Amino acid sequence: MIGGGRPSSSSAAVTAAGGTWVSTTSVSASGKRIQREMSELNADPPLHCSAGPKGDNLYHWVATIIGPPGTPYQGGIFFLDITFPSDYPFKPPKVVFKTRIYHCNVDAAGNLSLDILKDSWSPALTVSKVLTAIRAIFTNPDPYNPLISGIARLYLTEKAKHDEIAAEWTLRFAK
Amino acid sequence: MDSDSINTTPSPSANNCKDFSRKKRRSAKLKQCKLDARREQWLSQSAVKNKGCCKEGTNGGDLKQRAQGQTDCLLENLEISRRGEANRGRETGLVKHESDSESLPSNSPMNSILLEGTGSGTSFTNSSSSSSSTSSGGCCSGSITEEEGDDGCLDDWEAVADALAADDDKREMERNNNNRENPFLGSTPEHEQNPQLGLKGEGSDLRNAKLECPRMVQRVTGSSRAWRADDAFRPQSLPNLSKQRSFPNTDRHFGQRGVPWMRSSPFTVPSSCPICYEDLDFTDSSFFPCLCGFRLCLFCHKRILEEDGRCPGCRKQYEQDPVEAEASIQEGSLTFRLARSSSMFARS
Repeated sequence: MIGGGRPSSSSAAVTAAGGTWVSTTSVSASGKRIQREMSELNADPPLHCSAGPKGDNLYHWVATIIGPPGTPYQGGIFFLDITFPSDYPFKPPKVVFKTRIYHCNVDAAGNLSLDILKDSWSPALTVSKVLTAIRAIFTNPDPYNPLISGIARLYLTEKAKHDEIAAEWTLRFAK
Repeated sequence: MDSDSINTTPSPSANNCKDFSRKKRRSAKLKQCKLDARREQWLSQSAVKNKGCCKEGTNGGDLKQRAQGQTDCLLENLEISRRGEANRGRETGLVKHESDSESLPSNSPMNSILLEGTGSGTSFTNSSSSSSSTSSGGCCSGSITEEEGDDGCLDDWEAVADALAADDDKREMERNNNNRENPFLGSTPEHEQNPQLGLKGEGSDLRNAKLECPRMVQRVTGSSRAWRADDAFRPQSLPNLSKQRSFPNTDRHFGQRGVPWMRSSPFTVPSSCPICYEDLDFTDSSFFPCLCGFRLCLFCHKRILEEDGRCPGCRKQYEQDPVEAEASIQEGSLTFRLARSSSMFARS
């Protein structure tokens, strides 16, 4: 059922709306959806975020999030890899940090624990909403579902010290 | 488009007319003091206005002739009418489906001047006619050419009906033009008198012109007009138009596509499935799988039922278990029939 069994009649219109990018892959159901999300992201990107295909593979994107002001990540530019499964949007995309970050919800390999990327995924969610959610854990880390419990403990007990280290990492890795 | 659908309610034309005149009388009374102020202003400017009116008169004639000459080139007409519409949207801040045809009263520039002087028209017309004269000329050409554009392709009965209505309108406009040829410059005192007498003004020119405009508005928005392909109240039983693209506003709800399920009231249907972005067909658009109002196409619904079975909108489990999934889709085609009457309004 990946093909959807439906004629993708308006794919031409989508590429036209998308602007510069021209489709080279065949437009399956997920491809059409991703293409559409891309054009909507270009038209109206979420604050401090950007995303787009890495090369000419529609299923492999790179995204950037700028550290929100007022956080220890302020001014850092964090790169993320987004990989769409072939049955997207019924399965969540895989999002991995490529820039090192001192954050209790992101492990050393860049994997992040975010409920909407796992059990709480909904096909109605989009890359734009995922990026907004990731930016939200920059400002509000979730120390109760940590990937690195040491950072979570530090965040809960000595927030000032946590912020200091996080700012230092931001300066070292994300600028 | 909501306001549009209110306007195009197919009520009997007599009622419509009565309503309109009553409303007009009330509004005339309410605006009396406003009018006094405006009359003074008008009097002070009357000399200038009259001069401008003559100029505009010839201008309108030109436009009309040009429009009649253009019956054949449909494409160009549509372009022009679109431009007119855009023009109008910029001027009044309202881009309405019927706005072109509603600007018919201001087609003859004399009418618009009269309305401005007496203030007896609807505020809508007033606002457009009191804007710059060039813009009202623009809308005028737009609406005429749109009607003529329908004239050019008489390949189905709806177009024929439209063309007939357009013909009538044209005749009335010609009558208006004849009125305009009467000496208008001498009628300034009557103008002054008119608002005080309410609508019982005695100047024959004026009364003709004023009676003309409610009739024309009523004609255009009333029941004598054929259904447009994208009309909200168009009965579902009418055959689909193959030439829908010749109507200027078929693309008006592209804006809805970005917003998936926020507009879940039964009267606004998302035009495409928020999951796969395929267009919703008729069965899909009368398919209500979840109480939260989240709509999606049957393919995506089936796909979700095969896996975790939760509504994408509210993340609650869909009510049927997988065995009844097939039945639910059949039920979808059952509701297809039941929802027909309501979806007649919902679909556009």
